Amino acid sequence: MNKVIDVDIALSILDHQLVDGDGQNCGKVDDLEIAGLDTDSPEIVEIIVGGNAWRSRGLLGRLAARLSGDAVHVPWPEVDSVTSVVTLKRPAAELRLNRGDERWAALVGKVPGS
Amino acid sequence: MSVKNVLAVALGIMSAIGGFVDIGDLVFNTQAGAIFGFQLLWVVVIGVVGIIVYSEMCGRVSAVAKRPVFDLVRERTGFGAGLATLIASEIVNLMTCAAEIGGVAICFQLLSGLPYRLLIPLAVIGLAVCSWVLPFRWLERVFGYLGLGLLVFAVAAIKLHPDWGQVAHGFVPGSHSGGSLMVYLYFVVGLLGAAMTPYEVYFYSSGAVEDRWGLKELRLNQVTSIIGYVLGGFLSFALMIVAGALFLPLGISPQFLGTPALAAEHALGQLGLLLALVGILFAVGGAAIETSFAGGYNMAQFFGWRWGKRERPARASRFTLSWLAIFALALLLVMTGYDPVKLTEFSVIFSVVALPLTYLPILLIANDRAYMGSNVNGKLANVLGGLYFLLILVIAVVAIPLMLLTHGGQG
Repeated sequence: MNKVIDVDIALSILDHQLVDGDGQNCGKVDDLEIAGLDTDSPEIVEIIVGGNAWRSRGLLGRLAARLSGDAVHVPWPEVDSVTSVVTLKRPAAELRLNRGDERWAALVGKVPGS
Repeated sequence: MSVKNVLAVALGIMSAIGGFVDIGDLVFNTQAGAIFGFQLLWVVVIGVVGIIVYSEMCGRVSAVAKRPVFDLVRERTGFGAGLATLIASEIVNLMTCAAEIGGVAICFQLLSGLPYRLLIPLAVIGLAVCSWVLPFRWLERVFGYLGLGLLVFAVAAIKLHPDWGQVAHGFVPGSHSGGSLMVYLYFVVGLLGAAMTPYEVYFYSSGAVEDRWGLKELRLNQVTSIIGYVLGGFLSFALMIVAGALFLPLGISPQFLGTPALAAEHALGQLGLLLALVGILFAVGGAAIETSFAGGYNMAQFFGWRWGKRERPARASRFTLSWLAIFALALLLVMTGYDPVKLTEFSVIFSVVALPLTYLPILLIANDRAYMGSNVNGKLANVLGGLYFLLILVIAVVAIPLMLLTHGGQG
């Protein structure tokens, strides 16, 4: 999805589910980086996922951001399609998404049957 | 319906028994019956219709848009309000899970005679192992079908020969006797809260996504939500009738979770007691599992993680740790020795406060053609959905003041 997307539409994808190229959930559209807001053709530069991205989302968001790590920045050209979910072109791991599940997998993996 | 569909109705039956008749219904229906006799039966009808309306909507949204409830809560209400709803719902899930675990431990105690405090950790370990080992469908079947032991209360209600004229009268709201107006209203709110607890819709909608419902399952959704909750409603009637016919005349106030089972023993002897305890054990145990999973579903759906019982636990590690954490925290809460009946009352009353933010996004999405196409709400679903939304707004506002004013229904 390389074409310029209307900013109103862009803002409507805030808080939507992100799905990676393998069809796996990999976070939410927590914030957006938009360039050229003062020009006639602003465009989305990247999707910001997790951690610091919540800082801009009100009081509870600032609190949540403090308790978590750095956000992951996903460049807009990585987006494949926008429907009721935002689908990415590549698997989550290649975009450094879903690291939380990987981090805890070692712990959960110790239990038989996991 | 095909055999496969008949089997799939198990989802509705488990939600009905484990989700509808859980510790909240046991406590509120028997206490209401012991104080007001049959006069509050009409409230159960209103509660049952409410949970049918919203569960059907949730199941339809899951089948058509493939989106579970908490995904939509975040999407429609934004990050701040969504996070507030998440926190409120997790507190309610935790308190409810703790209350259900207390109920499981009490059933174990009545069945084995071992000390309650020793049985609490055993109950949690047993439930966690079941949740870990059994596939989703087997959890539904084992706990749903064994929970049907609660049907013994329907037999007990008939055996106790209540005044059926008075029972019929209880289905019509009107003047009341036996307690103050405030206590009466507190029980109205509590019974509605117990019938429409939010974790039921979290679990039902996520379960439908886990079962990979599609357009073909729309009929199944109607059938399961209606049959399941109507069955649950009948059990609620039975509990209130048993309490009204037995406890009210004797002046017994059921402040102990095992009291309803004793009513079954009074009417049907040892076998009645055993069936009642098994029924309560599995209904309450199933609800404990549902609340812990609801906790995991909500976290994962708010933050966009991988989730689901179908995923290998280590792959969806944050979801797995979330539901395990609900069990672990609930264990700590019950081990404090706080009275499970009181814990149940708090969990039901607080869940009422979390209801509007759970139900509003469902109502909005079910009306959104971009998501639902031609399967948007019809007139009936919208009129009922709107009326019930107004009702839960009112009870959400009055719930905590009524609890404080009546000292939790003590008058």
